[in-house]
Amino acid sequence: MLREGLTRLRFFMSPKPNREIDDELRFHIERQAQEYIAAGMTPQEARRKAVVAFGGVESVRAQSHEQRPSFFLGTLLQDVRYAIRQLRKTRGFTVTAVLTLALGIGANAAIFTLVNAVLLKNLPVVDPSSLVRIGNNNECCVNWGTENSGGADDGSYALFATDTWHQLQKNAPEFEELAAMQAGIGQIIARRDKTQESARSVSGEFVSGNYFRTFGLQPQIGRLFTDADNVEGAPFVAIMSYDMWQNNYAGDPSVVGSTFWINTKAVTITGIAPKGYYGDRLSSTPPDFYLPIESMPVLANATHVHVPEDRWLYIIGRVKPGVATAPLQAKIIELVRQSFAATKTFSDAEGKRALAKARVVLSPGGAGIQSMQDDYASKLKLLMWISGLVLLIACANIANLLLVRGMNRRAEMSIRTALGAMRTRIVRQLITESLVLSIISGMAGLVVAYAGTRMLLAMAFPGAQNLPIDASPSGVVLAFAFGISLLTGILFGVAPAWITSNANPADALRSGTRATTSGASLLQRSLIVLQSALALVLLVGAGMFIQSLNKLRNIDLKLNPTNRYIVHFNPQAAGYSPAQVEALYRTIEERFHTIPGVQKVGISTYTPMEANNWGEGVQIQGQPDTKEGASWLRGNAEYFDSVGTHILMGRGFTTQDTSTSPAVAVVNQSFVKKFLKPGENPIGRRFGSPGPVSSGDFEIVGVVEDTAYTSVTWKNHAMYFIPMTRRIPGSILQRPIDQDTGLYAGAVVIQTDRPMDNMQSLARQTLTAINPNLTVVKFQTFGEQIADRFTEDRMITRLMTLFSILALLLATLGLYGVNAYTVARRTSEIGIRMALGANRSSVVGMIMRGAMLQTVIGLAAIGIPVAWFCVRYIESQLYESKGMSLAVLTIATLTLIAAAAAAGLIPAQRAASTNPSQALRTE
Amino acid sequence: MATTDLLQGTLDLLILRTLALEPMHGWGIAQRIQQVSKDALQIGQGSLYPALHRLEYKGWIRAEWGASENNRKAKFYSLTKTGQKQLQAELEDWGRISTAIALVLK
Repeated sequence: MLREGLTRLRFFMSPKPNREIDDELRFHIERQAQEYIAAGMTPQEARRKAVVAFGGVESVRAQSHEQRPSFFLGTLLQDVRYAIRQLRKTRGFTVTAVLTLALGIGANAAIFTLVNAVLLKNLPVVDPSSLVRIGNNNECCVNWGTENSGGADDGSYALFATDTWHQLQKNAPEFEELAAMQAGIGQIIARRDKTQESARSVSGEFVSGNYFRTFGLQPQIGRLFTDADNVEGAPFVAIMSYDMWQNNYAGDPSVVGSTFWINTKAVTITGIAPKGYYGDRLSSTPPDFYLPIESMPVLANATHVHVPEDRWLYIIGRVKPGVATAPLQAKIIELVRQSFAATKTFSDAEGKRALAKARVVLSPGGAGIQSMQDDYASKLKLLMWISGLVLLIACANIANLLLVRGMNRRAEMSIRTALGAMRTRIVRQLITESLVLSIISGMAGLVVAYAGTRMLLAMAFPGAQNLPIDASPSGVVLAFAFGISLLTGILFGVAPAWITSNANPADALRSGTRATTSGASLLQRSLIVLQSALALVLLVGAGMFIQSLNKLRNIDLKLNPTNRYIVHFNPQAAGYSPAQVEALYRTIEERFHTIPGVQKVGISTYTPMEANNWGEGVQIQGQPDTKEGASWLRGNAEYFDSVGTHILMGRGFTTQDTSTSPAVAVVNQSFVKKFLKPGENPIGRRFGSPGPVSSGDFEIVGVVEDTAYTSVTWKNHAMYFIPMTRRIPGSILQRPIDQDTGLYAGAVVIQTDRPMDNMQSLARQTLTAINPNLTVVKFQTFGEQIADRFTEDRMITRLMTLFSILALLLATLGLYGVNAYTVARRTSEIGIRMALGANRSSVVGMIMRGAMLQTVIGLAAIGIPVAWFCVRYIESQLYESKGMSLAVLTIATLTLIAAAAAAGLIPAQRAASTNPSQALRTE
Repeated sequence: MATTDLLQGTLDLLILRTLALEPMHGWGIAQRIQQVSKDALQIGQGSLYPALHRLEYKGWIRAEWGASENNRKAKFYSLTKTGQKQLQAELEDWGRISTAIALVLK
């Protein structure tokens, strides 16, 4: 055994195995020749006979060589060297092939990485598979009616009152733990005690005491919540996220145990959440602090925590092993109904109807709350299809390029076969070449994948540095895309070689380059047809998205974003009670007006084109309740001017509309259309939330133009506006002013007379000067805020365009390759034609006809019908688009035909400039 | 006689047996087998040299460069210890098989 090992080693290291074999074989022939000389032959005759008697030296050498263990490595290295030499020699081919594959692999890896990260990833918690969420929609954030706002109008609830959570915890022992968490994660203001740091607006989530235990999490340092932390009157505690701890406090361990001023109240940090835990849902603003639910009424001045009618919690639990889902779901539905039945909401006639329909769906909780996943699923799936198509085109391209190359190398292969090379050896070498090409492309693809994922993330979630999505491409995905390209490479790299090596070398050599038929095989032509068709489908898709985005952007928002800035702030978190805000707003108005250049200072609960909407039922006094509602908003005197909304009738708000003045309202055109009869004068009419008394709450004093709020696609959006500090008459009777959180403003809108780059710091300074706890939650120009609402549409349109340009480029390249090859093959034929009197234009025409034919077939027979068919699948993602747009189809078709013409023209020109005498000499 | 007609492994046995007498180069091995078998077995170079390299790789024979009978540089093969053991084992195998075949053919 040892000896064997040693010989193996010796063979492995042996530097000149080939020479040794040659020497050995040469000796054999010489020795045989000597025998013949001894038998009386002449030396020449003897030598000739010895060589003949020996047979094929080459194959003996090869076969002997193969017995050596170093053989495989040796030939492999030799083949790789040769392959690299070949690739370097045909630089154009190599660059094209590598680029094609790299883009194909990279694009796919990037998209799948994103899909994997967004759609398939579980939370970084213990045993995510045993987590179950009670509910399956994205109902948010605080609800109290019978309706759920999750979009599913099927009586399915996902949002629950604190009471309901307690009851479920008590009555559903199937759950090991049942954790509750705030649905609408909000901003809090935090400042570390005894430091110079200024207060900052951060994200804070209120969670149950068993929240971290349910997920099986261990603290990075300190301790996580216990049930005792989530008790009314317990000392205020908070858990800080690992990222917050690292980024703002450099991982300082003394943070644990220190006091923070959270919304102006002293809170002790008891621990740091584990590294990598980004909260219970994917979000671009993951929680920086976790706080117990029971501290919310004081810390966030929240009134809903102990109101049985107010639903605001998501519930995720860990089921005990062996619990079946179906009976558990039935039981939970029963428990939820019992809990609902005890509330006022579900007690009247309508409530009872809703209660009979009420249900919950248990859904897997391992990925947490999947609101972002639900938002992005359809778009990501579409992108997956698109990138798949691009990979298909890339592979078709590679196949074509390799086929062309393989056929071009027929003569080379024939000569090698004639010289005695074994077929397996040639095929092996070609496989090596394909492998080398694929590996180079794969590495380039890795780079593209990395850059692509980063680009996709930046495009998909702009301004979200904190998004817990890893941009490194998933290995499985890379391997898959890489494998596909490898397979394509090997298949189409070896096929021509196999065909050639089967042919009789003599025949192959004789036929040479003299070919009359166009040369490209049926397979090549089919690939071109397929590529053209696929490229058209992608171009049409991109066209449809561009058209849709343009339509969206050209909608007149009736807003004026010029020189306007939106400063989001949070007076509630800064410690103001609702009774104090009127004075605060006055101060804000005054202070901002002292800044030179500031013209209007609007204050409102929320602003146009942001992700916020407050809805309420509306009844016109003296008319029956139509069960219809409208969105509403509070604004100050300069609010309408600051956002550019025009008053059409009556008046807007003035500084005389205060907390003590009569309750007035301004409504928009859609409101008038929706709630009043045509021709009725809205001014002076009274309305309010449904009810005999409340329907007289507000008197309409003005009508404003419809402007876009929340989303541009929200048509006929009825809205009403009430003065910033005027309490709703109905609510005055229900609760004291300190519980009227509706009085809190959310934004200051500033209009200036010129662009002011320093507005952000001015706004910050102005607010801090009023109160150090008044921090800027978010600052954007009005234009940026509007543009943000188009992010998703813009992303998908850009990606579609990017991919379709890629597809067009690849298809054009493929077409060019085949045309160039055809022309090269037909050089001598063209020479003869020209020698016989054919002129340039007829040669160009001949080549162009061949080139265009496949494209036209691809478009007419496959591309257009498939595109027509596929449009319906993207219709739901488009704005006001039904079926195929003829304009888009025409433009896409013309683009492809132009590209095909360009790909044909260059080889055709080359063909036409063939010098007949030279062409005939070419062989 | 071509190797394809020889039983699998027979060529290895012939080479090992031949080398058991004295170290020999490839040509010599072929000649010896031919002579001893009275021209009945002619070993083609196409099988001889791959077989030699295979046996060398297995460690049953070893190769050394030396001067041939006519003073040329030649590669001489000789049996290793493992090779001798292998030869014994193969001879026994061969004896068993040929007896068995003879019995059947009788």
